Amino acid sequence: MAREIYAYRCRRCDTMHYPFRMVCSGCKQNDFFEFDTVPLPKNGKLLTFTKVYNLPAQYEVATLGLGIVELDNGMRMLGQIEIDDPKIGMPVKGSVEVVRKEPYDDYYGMVFRAA
Amino acid sequence: MRDVYVAGIGITTFTRLEYPLSEIASYASMMALKDAGVTEVDQVYVANMGAARVNHQTALASAVVDSLSLTPAGAAAIENGPASGGSAIKAGFQAVASGMDDVVLVAGAERMREVNNLEATDFVATLTHPIAEYIYGVTLPAHAAMFTRLYMDKYGVTERHLAMVGVKNQNAALNNVWAHLQQEITLEGILDSPEAMTNNPYVAEPLRFFDACPVSDGGAALVLVSEEKAKELGRPLIRITGVGQATDTHAVHERSEPTDLMAVRKAAGDAFAMAGLTPQDVDVAELHDAFTILEIAESEEVGFFPKGEGHIALEKGETALGGKIPINVGGGLKGRGHPVGATGIAQAWEIVTQLRGDGGARQVQDAKIGFTCNFGGFGNNVVCLTFERED
Repeated sequence: MAREIYAYRCRRCDTMHYPFRMVCSGCKQNDFFEFDTVPLPKNGKLLTFTKVYNLPAQYEVATLGLGIVELDNGMRMLGQIEIDDPKIGMPVKGSVEVVRKEPYDDYYGMVFRAA
Repeated sequence: MRDVYVAGIGITTFTRLEYPLSEIASYASMMALKDAGVTEVDQVYVANMGAARVNHQTALASAVVDSLSLTPAGAAAIENGPASGGSAIKAGFQAVASGMDDVVLVAGAERMREVNNLEATDFVATLTHPIAEYIYGVTLPAHAAMFTRLYMDKYGVTERHLAMVGVKNQNAALNNVWAHLQQEITLEGILDSPEAMTNNPYVAEPLRFFDACPVSDGGAALVLVSEEKAKELGRPLIRITGVGQATDTHAVHERSEPTDLMAVRKAAGDAFAMAGLTPQDVDVAELHDAFTILEIAESEEVGFFPKGEGHIALEKGETALGGKIPINVGGGLKGRGHPVGATGIAQAWEIVTQLRGDGGARQVQDAKIGFTCNFGGFGNNVVCLTFERED
């Protein structure tokens, strides 16, 4: 089964959140964990981006592409980008892959490529 | 609420320091206590972000209060990311204003050069959202770079404008003996010459090496006192007249307008309202230029210039010494350096120096009203302060 990244929909007012928060930012009325999980769309457009040369420890690559994407449902997320010539507004498609490796742990996140 | 005055200030050289973190905080504190002429305090706050993680030390305030022989005064460390300094000043202000304490020492210190550059970058990146940002390898330069890209697209800011901020602030630091960077730079050297890409490579496109502040060790301290105590001590009367603090979403992508620094606008607005001032009343300002773009964006959000016109004011020289609103005349974070926990206090140190008329070659003529903006996270926790000289 394909891996997903989930948004959280408030059961009272339908406000969608990503990432998870304890209290809905829309109605501010949640009891504990009154959210439904909804997979985030994979397609969207690139809102802004950078190529980082000065990486934190753990990253054994020369550069890392990062961007903020506006997804097809209007929500936004930050992800890694693997795009040769990124442009603001270009369509992108994401897939959930390992974005950080630490001893005994792999962290999964969204990697966007040109659509 | 009682009035609160700054009776003493102290600072260490910002650079790579080869002595322990608690001594960095204590050294700046000693200077501030001597400057104020006090040997006893009611309360000590120590601002710091990385002691536990970078220096393997916890409960820093307990170490500092004892080292200064100020026991049994109350003492607590304050960790609030890069806004730790501003938050510690706010805590000290509240302690004096409430009437609970008459004399409060507020110190800030960081020793980031104890670890290598990669570890220091990772340490600062831990303030980002753990699931939605940190795991992707996001760093503060990366956040600033993505913000810059939008600012360029929307408002016409160019790499030249960024370099102009860098040149202005780094060269201003030449007039500040405590500042980390003591090397003159030119637009030719970092932008226009064939060697510019070697001198000034990208760190996170479109930001280059000279767009970012250095990684520094250093400390700064203030002594805050009540009006009665201030008059007894006889130091110049510099009053903290406005305090504002505001927060914004932890994950940057959740903000409806990604070029909007709402927390800066709110914190500054609250500080000005409390003081009964407008941004146009300010004679000298310290903005949090951890990256050159932030000086431009903050100069708009705090109300000095309309949104999208900060870079135009910069072009006209309005933010330089002698301009309409001189910003970061002591070098800012870019030139003075950015030991994160100390920065908010170092900003206040510069403003008090200016309002006392002790600025020397960087003195703003007849400065009576000063302003600081201490920007934590990527704009998710901001403290703004106003200072006024009373004659």
